[in-house]
Amino acid sequence: MKNRYWNPILETLPREELRALQIRKFKRIFEWAYENSRFHRSLYDAAGIKPEDIRSLDDIHAVPKVEKSMMRDIQRKDPFPYGDALCVPLEEVTEFRQTSGTTGQPVYQPDTWQDWEWWAECWSFILWAQGYRPSDRVFIPFGYNVFVAFWAGHYGAEKLGCEVVPGGVLDTKARILKIQELQATAMMATPTYVLGMADTARNKMGIDPKSLSINKITCAGEPGAGIPTTKKRIEEAWGAKVFDHAGATEIGAWSFECADQPHGMHVNEGLFLVEIEDLETGKIIEEPGKRGKMIITALDRQAQPCIRFDSKDIIEWDPEPCSCGRTFRLIKGGVVGRSDDITKVKGVLLAPSAIEEVVRGIEGLGDEFEVVVDKVGDVDRIALKVELMPGTENRREEIEGQLVDQLRIKTNLRYNLSFHGCETLPRYEVKAKRFKDLRKAH
Amino acid sequence: MSDIDMAQIQNKVLSLKELAKDINGLSKEFPAVQRNINRIMASIKMLEINTVDLVQEK
Repeated sequence: MKNRYWNPILETLPREELRALQIRKFKRIFEWAYENSRFHRSLYDAAGIKPEDIRSLDDIHAVPKVEKSMMRDIQRKDPFPYGDALCVPLEEVTEFRQTSGTTGQPVYQPDTWQDWEWWAECWSFILWAQGYRPSDRVFIPFGYNVFVAFWAGHYGAEKLGCEVVPGGVLDTKARILKIQELQATAMMATPTYVLGMADTARNKMGIDPKSLSINKITCAGEPGAGIPTTKKRIEEAWGAKVFDHAGATEIGAWSFECADQPHGMHVNEGLFLVEIEDLETGKIIEEPGKRGKMIITALDRQAQPCIRFDSKDIIEWDPEPCSCGRTFRLIKGGVVGRSDDITKVKGVLLAPSAIEEVVRGIEGLGDEFEVVVDKVGDVDRIALKVELMPGTENRREEIEGQLVDQLRIKTNLRYNLSFHGCETLPRYEVKAKRFKDLRKAH
Repeated sequence: MSDIDMAQIQNKVLSLKELAKDINGLSKEFPAVQRNINRIMASIKMLEINTVDLVQEK
């Protein structure tokens, strides 16, 4: 592909030069935070680490991690509302965003205009790699609000020169009609919502999503686009290529699937340093094929730095380089889960994404499902609710057999299964809550 | 990619940065200039990330 890279030098930099760049940039952002953030200085002073101590990757591994709970503790204080991690005068903050609060009280995120340019730059790497070009008309069916989500995707697409259509407060039907009216060529949304849109178009509007002009979809916010069976469902529904991407409010847009669709995502190693930490030993995993949790540094973000942030995302390095020629490493299968999502049921470690992979892989089952874990006495119970597609009632036994077999193979658990009519389980527009662990309430 | 003259781009970006800083220094009482030059400086920083930082690696 001609002009394959947003930055042809950086994206093909030899590994040793890329590593040297990361260490130099880490030292720079560490020094910035040490000089300008009371929170970071006290954290590093307590560990006995000063900027001049950062010379190698091993030195970086020794820098204390930052947990989301630490950010919660320092916020809602002066300089209000960000507290001691703010590195610039308040009057230089131009953007406010906050985390969704899925795991507790939301964290506030200040950005300067330079940081916001940087967000758009991160997204420019992503969209260019996925084949977005100035000729694209990009529809964004996102409720523009305090969550960063596709705000930065909007600005990144603009930076590329695309024509951006904000699908803000429109409902799903109106969004589909607007896509049809304007012949939009690309779209960004959560995988859950993209599937829901296809469902609405087909079943409530009599419009085949494939007949619309969307040829590429960038998904974020959930692991779905990295789960092969979910990705396949979306691609088949829309007749479009689907690309995975991962980012977070406190971090930035740090990874992307390129146009070659390598069943994984590139880490943007020019703008981020990713380390993978073994969940049991806490040691850094360099070799491919071993899962751990991501510790990440945004190398150029200034207002509220993100330095060795414990993201809780579960990832592993891919042993293979990508056919696209980028030297940015791949994480295999994208973000496969979160360390705080993985739970033990009946003594077996369970990642909810494994259930999604099974359900979405069985023809005849709808896109939605729900998992409920509870406890009777000392015994865990796990129930799975699925939807049967119209016209498949006579295949129920066969479908149930496949479901039981695949769940046993992929998750090593037996479930109390229940089958429901199409469109009877809850639908979600942003992040889905399909996994309910009621044991915590007991 | 051999036709990309990174050294020259780097020099031009650094010149641009100096020029923007000069305008910024002259615009303390001139919001229309200062706010616009601040935005331009943020864009120049993105140019630095994409070029100057890399050339230093070579």
